[in-house]
Amino acid sequence: MLHVKNLTAAIGDKQILNGLDLDVGAGEVHAIMGPNGSGKSTFAHTLAGRDGYEIGGTVTLDGADLLEMEPEARAAAGIFLGFQYPVEIPGVNNMYFLRTALNSVRRTRGDTEISAREFLKVAKEAMELVEMKQDFLDRAVNAGFSGGEKKRNEILQMAVMQPRLAVLDETDSGLDIDALRIIAGGVNALRGAERSMIVITHYQRLLDYIKPDFVHVLVGGKIVQSGDHTLALHLEKNGYADFVNHELAGAPS
Amino acid sequence: MSAAAPAVSSTTGRGDALDRAVALGLPTKRDEAWRYAPQRLLAELTFDAAVETAGDVPADLDAQFPSIDGPRVVVVNGVVDVSRSNTAAADGAVVSSLAEAVAANSDLAAAHFALPADAIDDVFLAYNLAFGGDGAVIDIADGVALETPIHIVDVETPDSTHNASCTGVVIRLGVGSSATVVETRLGVGSGFGGSNVRTTVTLGDDATLEHVLLQDVPDTQVHLSRIEVEQGAGSTFRARSFNLGAAYGRVAYDVQLAGEGAFADLSGLFFGFGDQVLDQQVDVIHAAPDCTSRQSFRGVLDDRSTGVFNGGILVRPGADGTDAEQSNHNLILSHQAEINTQPRLEILADEVACKHGATVGQLDETAMYYMRSRGIAADEARRLLINGFADQVVDTVGIESVRKWIIHRLGHDDLGFDDDGDADG
Repeated sequence: MLHVKNLTAAIGDKQILNGLDLDVGAGEVHAIMGPNGSGKSTFAHTLAGRDGYEIGGTVTLDGADLLEMEPEARAAAGIFLGFQYPVEIPGVNNMYFLRTALNSVRRTRGDTEISAREFLKVAKEAMELVEMKQDFLDRAVNAGFSGGEKKRNEILQMAVMQPRLAVLDETDSGLDIDALRIIAGGVNALRGAERSMIVITHYQRLLDYIKPDFVHVLVGGKIVQSGDHTLALHLEKNGYADFVNHELAGAPS
Repeated sequence: MSAAAPAVSSTTGRGDALDRAVALGLPTKRDEAWRYAPQRLLAELTFDAAVETAGDVPADLDAQFPSIDGPRVVVVNGVVDVSRSNTAAADGAVVSSLAEAVAANSDLAAAHFALPADAIDDVFLAYNLAFGGDGAVIDIADGVALETPIHIVDVETPDSTHNASCTGVVIRLGVGSSATVVETRLGVGSGFGGSNVRTTVTLGDDATLEHVLLQDVPDTQVHLSRIEVEQGAGSTFRARSFNLGAAYGRVAYDVQLAGEGAFADLSGLFFGFGDQVLDQQVDVIHAAPDCTSRQSFRGVLDDRSTGVFNGGILVRPGADGTDAEQSNHNLILSHQAEINTQPRLEILADEVACKHGATVGQLDETAMYYMRSRGIAADEARRLLINGFADQVVDTVGIESVRKWIIHRLGHDDLGFDDDGDADG
């Protein structure tokens, strides 16, 4: 489904991704862990299409060249990025935003637009999934939301958008244990044979709730180790020291 | 100068006003309050005695106003158009034409024109006094809470014989009364012209006026609004202005907080395209203790348009306990657009809390990316952000038909405001 080959990304002369390879099959959940500054968020944004990077290598989703697409085309192709820092958009109503988003991708895909009434049903189900009340949709997008509400709003959007590939960038950061449980519950409910996920996190904690099929360690802009969920447990116990030292030892001086 | 032939009677002392106009002359770039006004356009305005209109008013003129049920006075080229007006008002409220009130020796009308020559510091105020013989009078008795909004419409239809008119609007609210007044300012045609409307408002103690000013004339026309307000103790003046289009569109407030504990809450939106110059001149004068004022103006400027916000908070000696805030946020959509924002604070009292702030920004790139990552195309994301910025003023208007009119005039009625109203929050 998703094939990432020798992906590089730089901002100016600062190299962030250094030849990242990753293959994600349909229905698989991949966790990417790594220390601060290892390139986790940059990887997420290169998938979603943020401007400002010099990019090399290839990324294909279901055979289509993702790197050639604008962010909105990637969304229509099925990419969804759950932001680490969801953006506040004062004055833009959350419900309207969501419906515009959903109808935009439907139009691009050649589907009919969803009516206000149908949308309300979709939104209601999504809200129940993240245990949100109706007034949540009546507010401006993320404006004045607490950290937990913002993250729940991301999962709500994901539930409405029903992506092919969800990339969740530190969705667990800043959450208390109850919010974490709700978010993980939402994510798990959205797992399916046709939907893949890349879960980016610092901590093993989230992976207690969302059990990944694969765990990758990202250090210095590339994946230095891959394994099953036990790798996360190992990291939790020993930290990233092994990999970081390994990387330093191997780095050109 | 253009107003050479004073074809007006001097029964209300208006000949003096014309003398004053000639003495003052046109403002120059050195006049702070007129610094960004296109002088060439101002010089071409030719005010004359009000003219009865004939066939140059489109039959569907009414369709251009917001549709508001209630009393209405429509002024065309400085003269009340009786056929389009309906002055029947609820008990305790009188709505009439200004010319009638003058003819009936109304004290309200007299007060509107009674200004000593040395108090006339603005040439267009002088012209208005000299030529503005008609318009509307609204008089609300003590204790009356008027439910239905009153709508005053001013329309300019310049042609080869006439290019500029003056209109007067007089509003008095008695002690403890409340009312809503919507003033709509429009123009017709593609020729050069202008209108000069002066509104004087007197609020009795504990009275509450909601005043909405809707200004959108063709960009071949000039529109000058001047709103003078005198507030009694404990009164509330809540003003919303929408300066949406003109070659030069001016909204000038002069608000006197004259009675203790009065409250003035002014906000506005100006939205410029093309070569428009949209000018907000606000003076809030705290002349009594413990008054509160808020100024909150937003500008959106595209193409080569220019926005001006010149906001004054003037705290007179003895106005202790003043609480005043001012903000001006601007969104610049083009490299050639321009905003000039200037706070003026003059504080001559003690225990005063004054805050002001201004921002000038472009569209938030992070928000653009966020929306695009959700599948929303770039141009639509842009529209949503602009509308979101503007809606923060639009949404504060209580009358739904007025909100819809504003959105329609902004050209984004296809966005965000569905019949089920789910985007209003």
